[in-house]
Amino acid sequence: MVSILKRSLAIITILIIGYWLAVAMSHIPFGQDKMLVGQYYLNHVKDQTGAVNAVTAIVVNYRGFDTLGEVTVLFIASTGVGALLWKRKRERTARVPGSVVLTTGTRFLFPFIVLFGAYIFIHGHLTPGGGFPGGATIATGFLLLYMAFTVYEIPHKGFEVTEGLVGMSYVAVGLIGLLIGSYFLYDWIWQTWHVGTVGKLFSGGFIPIIYILIGLKVGTELSGIIDNMLKEGVSGND
Amino acid sequence: MIEISAYYFGAIALIMIGLYAVLVKKNLLKMLVGLSIMETGVNLLLISIGYINGKSAPILSEGVGPKGAVDPIPQALVLTAIVIGVATTAMALSAAIILYEKYGTLNIEEIRRLRG
Amino acid sequence: MNGQYASLLIAIPLISAFFVPVIKAASKKAVMPFLVLVTAVQTAAAAWVFNEVYTTGKPIIVMAGKWQPPIGIDLYIGHFAALFVFIVAAVSFLLSIYNFKTIKIEPIDKYAMLFLLLMLGATGMIATGDIFNLFVFMEITSITAYALTAYNKTGEAAEASMKYMILGGIGSSFFLIGIAIIYGSLGTLNMAQIAQLAGSMNATAAQAGLALLIFGLAVEAELFPLNAWAPDAYQAAPHPVTVMFSAFVVKAGLYAAARLLYLMQAVGSWHSVLKLVVIMATLTVIVAEFSALRQRNVKRMIAYSSISQVGFIALALALGTQAGVDAGVFHMVNHAIVKALLFIAVGYVAVELGGDEVENFRGLGRRMPITAFSITIGSLAVIGIPMFNVFWSKLRIILATVDVGYTWAAALVLIASVVEAVYYLRLLHVMWFERSGERITESAALGAIMLLLVAVVIVIGVYPDYVWNLAQKAGADIFNVAQYIKNVPLMGVGA
Repeated sequence: MVSILKRSLAIITILIIGYWLAVAMSHIPFGQDKMLVGQYYLNHVKDQTGAVNAVTAIVVNYRGFDTLGEVTVLFIASTGVGALLWKRKRERTARVPGSVVLTTGTRFLFPFIVLFGAYIFIHGHLTPGGGFPGGATIATGFLLLYMAFTVYEIPHKGFEVTEGLVGMSYVAVGLIGLLIGSYFLYDWIWQTWHVGTVGKLFSGGFIPIIYILIGLKVGTELSGIIDNMLKEGVSGND
Repeated sequence: MIEISAYYFGAIALIMIGLYAVLVKKNLLKMLVGLSIMETGVNLLLISIGYINGKSAPILSEGVGPKGAVDPIPQALVLTAIVIGVATTAMALSAAIILYEKYGTLNIEEIRRLRG
Repeated sequence: MNGQYASLLIAIPLISAFFVPVIKAASKKAVMPFLVLVTAVQTAAAAWVFNEVYTTGKPIIVMAGKWQPPIGIDLYIGHFAALFVFIVAAVSFLLSIYNFKTIKIEPIDKYAMLFLLLMLGATGMIATGDIFNLFVFMEITSITAYALTAYNKTGEAAEASMKYMILGGIGSSFFLIGIAIIYGSLGTLNMAQIAQLAGSMNATAAQAGLALLIFGLAVEAELFPLNAWAPDAYQAAPHPVTVMFSAFVVKAGLYAAARLLYLMQAVGSWHSVLKLVVIMATLTVIVAEFSALRQRNVKRMIAYSSISQVGFIALALALGTQAGVDAGVFHMVNHAIVKALLFIAVGYVAVELGGDEVENFRGLGRRMPITAFSITIGSLAVIGIPMFNVFWSKLRIILATVDVGYTWAAALVLIASVVEAVYYLRLLHVMWFERSGERITESAALGAIMLLLVAVVIVIGVYPDYVWNLAQKAGADIFNVAQYIKNVPLMGVGA
């Protein structure tokens, strides 16, 4: 049991920090228009990027460097989990197979889940969503397969190589921008070649391309993390 | 008392609850859940900064013009922050798995005692 | 070649890290040599950037996506960034050779990816010009560090990593709250524009925002009380990773804290935040020095010593004067070189002789003379003996603190140096004056690396002026915020 002294000390500290934060936040009025850079984005997003979804245009185009960093963070998480949970020989130790409802339902639903995830990331520039939720949906499909069948495993080598190649393609898109437009991550599709019209599927410059890459990457990475966590080392081979 | 909006108050409350769990709890998984709650609170705080009364989502298709949308930047920031939170949680859980394999317990005082 | 090619400093490690799984599928043995190749290319690119910035005197501003700041993200590679990106790349190159001898635990391909990404994270933190981008690179650095700390998969490593993760998670949440407060008040995320508009911020909100940002960075920068993770992590991490932590990860955190502090100097409550950092730095020094005295494990002792040096740097940076910032930057450079030398040597001893307890160091002078010589030079340098590089930077720090009137801080530096002398000389006594064991042949490559670092330590000690000039230019980069704002091509963003 935690001593009363420690608990009350923690509560007092937290109340002080909370009050200090509240005082700071009271100087930032809620609900008022205080946009500076945000207004510029809203005014110019349609003609500068070709997308109607301002948030995805910011994430991929205006502040695309941050998204590159974010993709890297997920890659690090997947690699790190693989490095920490690595054993010489690992296999699945689940013994109870899923019920009939689960196995039949999964067999029917899996293709639709993957299709829905793909829909989310292909339409990132027109509807809310984008690469990350799309990839997470696809990974959920794989998780269902893991839960329903005790012998299912994703093809490791294929997924790892896909992850690496897709990541390289994202940086390569940025480097092509450096070559064509002489700036890293320059949107050459919309700004140099002027492909597509605003509001249709073929628009938004390189946003759909990058989101497809991100969707594939996130899907394979999260599935890899699930796979790593669901396996245990076969004893005697540490 | 100071004037503060309900959204800010809720976000700060979540952050404080999460911080309390991290500081006081002894079980590793409970500390990680507290960390997760704290990150959720911070995301909520970030989004509520961008809200403008009476405007709608920043998707500029039919009907919503550039003057009729809320601030899109905090939403982009939170997208990134959520992913980073997921990555941290995944790493922490794998470290917890290793600790459980080595020491047989998830209680941090037990672990400190066993390590000597 | 136009300046935008400096973005290759970020693109090269990133694309190489993604390439490693493809190489591993082809041939497992090619992974480590590939690391040497990539770090060599990165060092060449950093040397080119360093040359560009220091000969023309103008910073390189990389605008990602051709969007002018504050619409887009810019990388501000000024004097400080050019110098430190070069140091990061050069140290990583030396470590990629050191990896061959010291990393034996599987899976090596994942280690290689994490190594490259840690280097990338530190480079990004130093080169960026936007606070949210700083947060993203800080997270890249932190999460890679969490994974690398636990890489050896022992119980101690996992516990050290867990402590780091919990403190790091709290720190990054606080950092985000700070960003929320600053964005909510000013409406922009670009560093130059924040410096321009800082005067218009409400003083209480600014104080809270800035303090939260510094708290978030204090975890990376190892300031008291958020450095509880550091001794355990330094001890349990693989040896090259410890070198990376002490040589550049902590410096990136300190630089980011200094940059944010000086950017917001127009704010009303600036001096109270400076005082807070001074208090934290002083406590760091005191706690670390006294803990180092009691250690029997050499790697942990040097880790505590490293933490106290970091306290000195933070103290110098928080003085609020140009001289203080210059002294802090000079000490950063010297400390990176000396600690790299010490940790490489100690790690080599641990690998060859089976552990880093003090018992393994008995009679090292006879058993591994080159390594013992390197440790000797490193220890003498850290204490601050004249003719070695740290003497000049400690002198500058003392002068800067006396200038501001903090004579107690100068006394603290001197007392801490005396305490350091006690435990380092104790180690040297064990190494040279106790007999044990026979000669071991040392690797030629590692011997060359250690002697190279020793040579740099002595050269800077005897001719400090060249590096002191570099440090002054880099310090002016951080301190002179008006020049920083002028250098960034800010676009007008009228609503």
